[in-house]
Amino acid sequence: MFIVSEMKISDVIIENPYLILMLEHLGINLEVHDKTIEQICNESNISTELFLTIANLFNGFKPLPITEYTSNDIQTIIKYLKNSHQYYMEEKYPQIQDYFEKINKINDHAEIIMIGKFFDKYFLEVTEHLDYENDVVFPYVLDLNNLLTHKNSDKAVSSYSVTEYKKHHDDIEEKLTDLNNLLIKYLPQKNDQQIRRKLLFCLFELEYDLKIHSQIEETILIPLVEKMEHLAKKRK
Amino acid sequence: MSKKVDNIIIVETSDIIYEGIFSILTNTGQPYKIHLADNLRELEQLNIRTKADLVFINPVLIQNQLKDFHSLKKELNDTRWIGIVYTYFDQQLLSIFDEIIYINDTPDKIITSVQKFFSEQNPGNQNQQQKTLSEREIDVLKLLVSGNANKEIADKLNISTHTVISHRKKISQKTGIKSVSGLTIYAVVNSIISINDYRE
Repeated sequence: MFIVSEMKISDVIIENPYLILMLEHLGINLEVHDKTIEQICNESNISTELFLTIANLFNGFKPLPITEYTSNDIQTIIKYLKNSHQYYMEEKYPQIQDYFEKINKINDHAEIIMIGKFFDKYFLEVTEHLDYENDVVFPYVLDLNNLLTHKNSDKAVSSYSVTEYKKHHDDIEEKLTDLNNLLIKYLPQKNDQQIRRKLLFCLFELEYDLKIHSQIEETILIPLVEKMEHLAKKRK
Repeated sequence: MSKKVDNIIIVETSDIIYEGIFSILTNTGQPYKIHLADNLRELEQLNIRTKADLVFINPVLIQNQLKDFHSLKKELNDTRWIGIVYTYFDQQLLSIFDEIIYINDTPDKIITSVQKFFSEQNPGNQNQQQKTLSEREIDVLKLLVSGNANKEIADKLNISTHTVISHRKKISQKTGIKSVSGLTIYAVVNSIISINDYRE
């Protein structure tokens, strides 16, 4: 279903419950009564255009580029991304680690131990990537945003450029797919069907959210920041 | 087990027509996956469009957007297009489609025109199912998971780096695994290398 602003948010959620996660990342509470998307957006000070773009990403549509840079959209996007980082680090990855430990206890095949290590290494890479975004990319974007909104801001913006980010933006999803395939197709099983199913469901949830996460970064955030960099240059 | 499901998109504004085509297709018992788009723009945004085998589309919806339609047709060059015709259209417009169905066609006629396309494709689908690695691919895999770079593998097997890369692509396609560390686990599970050869 292609989501439009007059739709009731509750209907949209019932059709695709993953949108609950989107609301959470945007800091919107449930108990949405009969409000439409437009009403919710106005109340939460989020632009309807941005909301619809992200919501339709969740529903499998390709995003329309946000054409106009606004300070508010940038703040919303960064908030969304930061909240989703928190969700990965504090909720999803500990959950996965826990399942791996449980499987290890039941199934002592050497391959199971290997995949546990595969996950640990992968998790390190993810942590590095998220830290990099938290420590370098997001502050840079917010500084740039500040510079463009406060005319007299004399705070120097680092000479970083989003082009570097593009390079650094490596694919976390690829190894997650590998993990799913190994667990479904190849790894020997030993009484661990239930936990393995829980683990896989958990991995699918993570995969779904990560996919949208990187689409937001690549198709919405990066083009916007390029626009901002262009604007900032013009002002000099 | 992996029966191919065919993706079909219906681009049509009338619910009656959409539901009609939908139920005619579902009644065949074939595992078609059917999606709906209201107009050309929505079709352009559907991610699934790149996997569409067949698109039913009302010519009214492309009449004034021929340029957009042609570029979409170019993008989806494996997709077959069926026009849903219920009023008079210029023959030239209708000639864009691979097939035409008329609103007063019998369900059988519509099913026949759909199945025609899928039976054309079937021979190709069958040999794509071969998932086991060839001997050469196993050679490449062994060297890859024991830490060799593409260039080293090429030298050891006396083939070009380009060939190594194309073997690696095949390996990933067949196994569903792309990363070297993932392939290492695959190789151990399938006894291509022994667990003792595995180092972190």
